[in-house]
Amino acid sequence: MQVSIKWLKDYIDFTETPEELADKLTMAGIPVENVLDPGEGLEKVITGRIEKLEKHPDADKLQICTINVGQTEPIIIVTGAANVAEGQIVPVAMIGAKLPTGVKISKGKLRGVMSYGMLCSASELKLDLEKLPETQKTGIYILPEDIEPGIHVKDILGLNDSILEFELTANRGDCFSVWGLVREVAVLTGNVPKWPVISVKEDAAEKSADLIDIRIEAQDLCSRFSSRVIKNVKIGPSPEWMQQRLDGAGIRAVNNVVDVTNFVMIELGQPMHAYDYDHITGRTLAARHAVIGEELHTLDDSSRLAQADMLVIADAKRVAGLAGVMGGLATEVTEATTTVVLEAASFNGASVRRTSRACGLHSEASGRFERGVDIVNTPRALDRAVQLLQEMGACTVCQGIVDVYPNPKQSVKVCFSPDQINRRLGTLIPVATMIDILQKLEFVVDNSKEVFEVLVPSWRNDVTCMEDLSEEIARIYGFENITSTRPSGNVMQGCQSKKQNFVDRLKSILSGLGMNEAISFSFTNPSMFDKLNIAADSELRQAVPIMNPLTDEYTLLRTTLLSSVFENVMRNLSRKNDDIQLFEIAPVFAAQALPVTEQLIETWKLAGAITGRRQVVGWNQDNSAVDFYDAKGIVEELLTQLSVSRYTVEVGEHYAMHPGKTAVFKKGREVLAMVGEVHPQVLDALSISKKTYIFELDVEVLMKYAAESVHYQALPKYPAISRDLAMLVADDISAGDIEKIIMKNAGNLLVDLRLFDLYNGEQIEKGQKSLAFSLQFQSNTKTLTDAEVDPYYNAVLKKLEDTFSAKLRS
Amino acid sequence: MEQELKELKQEAVTAMAVAQNVSDLNDLRVKYLGKKGTLTSLLRGMGKLSPEERPRIGQLVNEVRSELETVLESKNEELKKLELAQRLATEKIDVTLPGRIQPLGHLHPLTLTLNRIKNIFMTMGFSVEEGPEVEKDYYNFEALNLPKDHPARDMQDSFYITEDILLRTQTSPVQARTMQAHEPNSPIRMIAPGRVYRRDDYDATHSPMFTQVEGLVIDKNISFSDLKGTLELFLHQIFNENVGVRFRPSFFPFTEPSAEVDISCVMCQGKGCRVCKGTGWLEILGAGMVHPHVLEMSGYDPKKVSGFAFGLGVERVAMLAYGVDDLRLFYDNDMRFLRQF
Repeated sequence: MQVSIKWLKDYIDFTETPEELADKLTMAGIPVENVLDPGEGLEKVITGRIEKLEKHPDADKLQICTINVGQTEPIIIVTGAANVAEGQIVPVAMIGAKLPTGVKISKGKLRGVMSYGMLCSASELKLDLEKLPETQKTGIYILPEDIEPGIHVKDILGLNDSILEFELTANRGDCFSVWGLVREVAVLTGNVPKWPVISVKEDAAEKSADLIDIRIEAQDLCSRFSSRVIKNVKIGPSPEWMQQRLDGAGIRAVNNVVDVTNFVMIELGQPMHAYDYDHITGRTLAARHAVIGEELHTLDDSSRLAQADMLVIADAKRVAGLAGVMGGLATEVTEATTTVVLEAASFNGASVRRTSRACGLHSEASGRFERGVDIVNTPRALDRAVQLLQEMGACTVCQGIVDVYPNPKQSVKVCFSPDQINRRLGTLIPVATMIDILQKLEFVVDNSKEVFEVLVPSWRNDVTCMEDLSEEIARIYGFENITSTRPSGNVMQGCQSKKQNFVDRLKSILSGLGMNEAISFSFTNPSMFDKLNIAADSELRQAVPIMNPLTDEYTLLRTTLLSSVFENVMRNLSRKNDDIQLFEIAPVFAAQALPVTEQLIETWKLAGAITGRRQVVGWNQDNSAVDFYDAKGIVEELLTQLSVSRYTVEVGEHYAMHPGKTAVFKKGREVLAMVGEVHPQVLDALSISKKTYIFELDVEVLMKYAAESVHYQALPKYPAISRDLAMLVADDISAGDIEKIIMKNAGNLLVDLRLFDLYNGEQIEKGQKSLAFSLQFQSNTKTLTDAEVDPYYNAVLKKLEDTFSAKLRS
Repeated sequence: MEQELKELKQEAVTAMAVAQNVSDLNDLRVKYLGKKGTLTSLLRGMGKLSPEERPRIGQLVNEVRSELETVLESKNEELKKLELAQRLATEKIDVTLPGRIQPLGHLHPLTLTLNRIKNIFMTMGFSVEEGPEVEKDYYNFEALNLPKDHPARDMQDSFYITEDILLRTQTSPVQARTMQAHEPNSPIRMIAPGRVYRRDDYDATHSPMFTQVEGLVIDKNISFSDLKGTLELFLHQIFNENVGVRFRPSFFPFTEPSAEVDISCVMCQGKGCRVCKGTGWLEILGAGMVHPHVLEMSGYDPKKVSGFAFGLGVERVAMLAYGVDDLRLFYDNDMRFLRQF
């Protein structure tokens, strides 16, 4: 909704500047988004009369104009325009002007002659070219010759106005009209509106009711249908003042009949429609449900198929319009029209909304019906429209209104006590103030009893309860006048859930490990599953589709965080961010069954990726590339920090990981974590050229095994005995298997086991490797002797020799 | 004898004064004060002296010894200091070389912002509640007084999974769920942070997914003035004590009265700039007194209790707090961006 200050001032006086008024309205809940100045940039453009025109001595295409701009001395302007002549009145941009096009005017020399300004064309003045005759579209914009020189062009072009651009809320349908806004301005300024007197001179010879039959067949969707018939219609342009008002409201002038229906819609908030009577079959219009498959050729010259729940206006033969949305082409008012049926109706907002969405047609009318119109207002809108047309001499008016209104609306009554309202607002607003505010808003207040009774004006469909009245009182009283307090009452404990605390803990551990947190969209697309090498029958491919996705890129809800993690890696690599350490913690989505009928299963996952250098580039840093063990180390340290212990690590299988470089961390049979090098095929498919390592964990599984609190272990009182064990074994024997044997055979006194060296270089035979472990034995009851440790050490050695043919390395 | 002592002392003091290092000085100690040193041998010659002279000379010898020891000690200190200084000088390194770094990772700026928001509300006694991101139309809209075909649904264009299941457009459904899980009319102070989804084009200020924090307070006699006080306190903490706060009447189907809450522009301090479109104010929160229908639908009695609710965008707060001018930066996860927080 937008409206010009001039239009508001037609009905109410105020001294506020447009900005001040905008601020007052905004602070009362009628938000003004912008105050526009249609004449912006024309402050230094004035009228001038060309007194003399001479050829430029040195340029064929230039002329030197001597122009009277209403000052004592004429000014000289050099122009290249061809359509100028002596005696013309033209718009002159004076030195210092900054035109709407952005052009700044300064004095300058053109081929040796000084020029002190510029003559303007229509486009330089930012005039609407479509509304101009062909001759005025190019060249200098020539003004009528009876205009005095030295007058601001803004005033002549009707641009000395301001436009208020509203961002109205959905509840205030009444403010989608000049009258509605004027009512608010009246309350806020204390001034009294001057409503136009509406009077119609009817032609007693012909009755509307004899000419047209109006019926409401769909009473659920149409609660009132009023109409008037006008004859001897002379189609032509509407007067300039009306065109200006409409222009300020952002509506293009068409012809007098259409302009009047639009004018009344903006003025009173009641959408109207005009039908060419001679094209209505059977002298009848009915508001009824559409029949499936019924076709309508709409005003925008496109053919539409109606759906069964739509409300249409139909004549005896066919659909003449989508009620409240758009009229039909067949009954359009044209140059040839002589008799017109005017419609002012009240259609169901939800229905109009559904229809306009289904057809992709949003109009000024449909927006008003959606928000609700004042049902009492339809006869007044019809009277106002025919009054305006009569004033233009454009028609005669048949007698009477054909008004179908089966269930007249009862006034809404709301009860309140001032105490209730003050309690809700936390205020001490005097009773008299409350009554005054409500009365100014045209509510009828009966305060004779303890509980007040209020009759809500017909245009305020949004007010139905005491709480609504509290808002009316608060917004006019001023939110800024309500003091600030804090809630009293029960003291409550601030806390978050165990899971939220756990997620926070995971994030803090991972950031401590040098990992950076990413947050990505929950969406993915099917091609990602192929790229990630996910098996055709995998559950991960059973992703939930979005009915109305924004783009092809995001058609599904992600089933794995890895799709997002890889997107982030790719984006970073494409930006030459070569060293990446990213993780994300978020839910993934799965359906209980497809197609979806129930809410989804949302599982919180943790995934991450690393690639690039191990440490930041530096003279003293390890700048080699990260490998599998960096990723594994992150997972291990994460588990350590969470006090998850006694898990196993085995060779794992994962669709996106290298089969020989995948580890699975397990607790019993439950998978705690997967970590591995990204499968070369996946890297290829994603065009990632660097080895990348990923890990994936399930937050809820982790939470199950993570210790919530730390239980302290007493520090050892007795010294430990340390034994190193360096041995040669075949290459294919895993360190994990050796560790298992050691743990099993080293007895209860073994407190620490560490692999401190791994070697398979020149010094040893091919096919062999050397592993060196450090074993710590310690008792918490005494100082151990060698004699107590040696048997365990020997048992370990023996078992390793027997199992793996390990040889002690000398 | 006396003369001898005098000369000895003079000689020793001179020698000590020119000693170059601690080891030379030690040699001098042995030479003059050691068991076989000069002073000791002089003492042995005392037997030749007369009994009258002996005590006097004896005292003199002791005085010389003690004087020499003092000189020796101070010279020793001096030389040690010197030697330390020389050692330190040779051990000098280039301290301008960069240190060895074990860099920490960074939490996402939205996480950091959300943590601040959560902490402020938790200290005010709010619990942090969560709910599903894929919701039923009922919880997302209807339980919040937004029936089907309500024009206010236009403000929240949704991603649908089915006619009846959608990606939540706000975290308010958590409020309805929390109320329904509570004993009717029991007090509630909660916030619900989380991701929400709207079918908006992805640009510098819109995103199909973003982060919201909704809040709800229900108790006996909760008033609009409590809403004002609570949100002012929050905004002063999250921005600063001096930030201006204004409440403008607005409309949300789930609150009555409703308010948009603006803060004075943090970029231009309210003077008017590009960020605030010259108004000096920035929209930061939507809020209002909970609509009686919303209370009723979740089993609360609007005659017995009242409440207020509010909602804010975490991205908006983060953009203002960090001066980020393009919302997409939050979802690009560019390492150079993430490492700044």
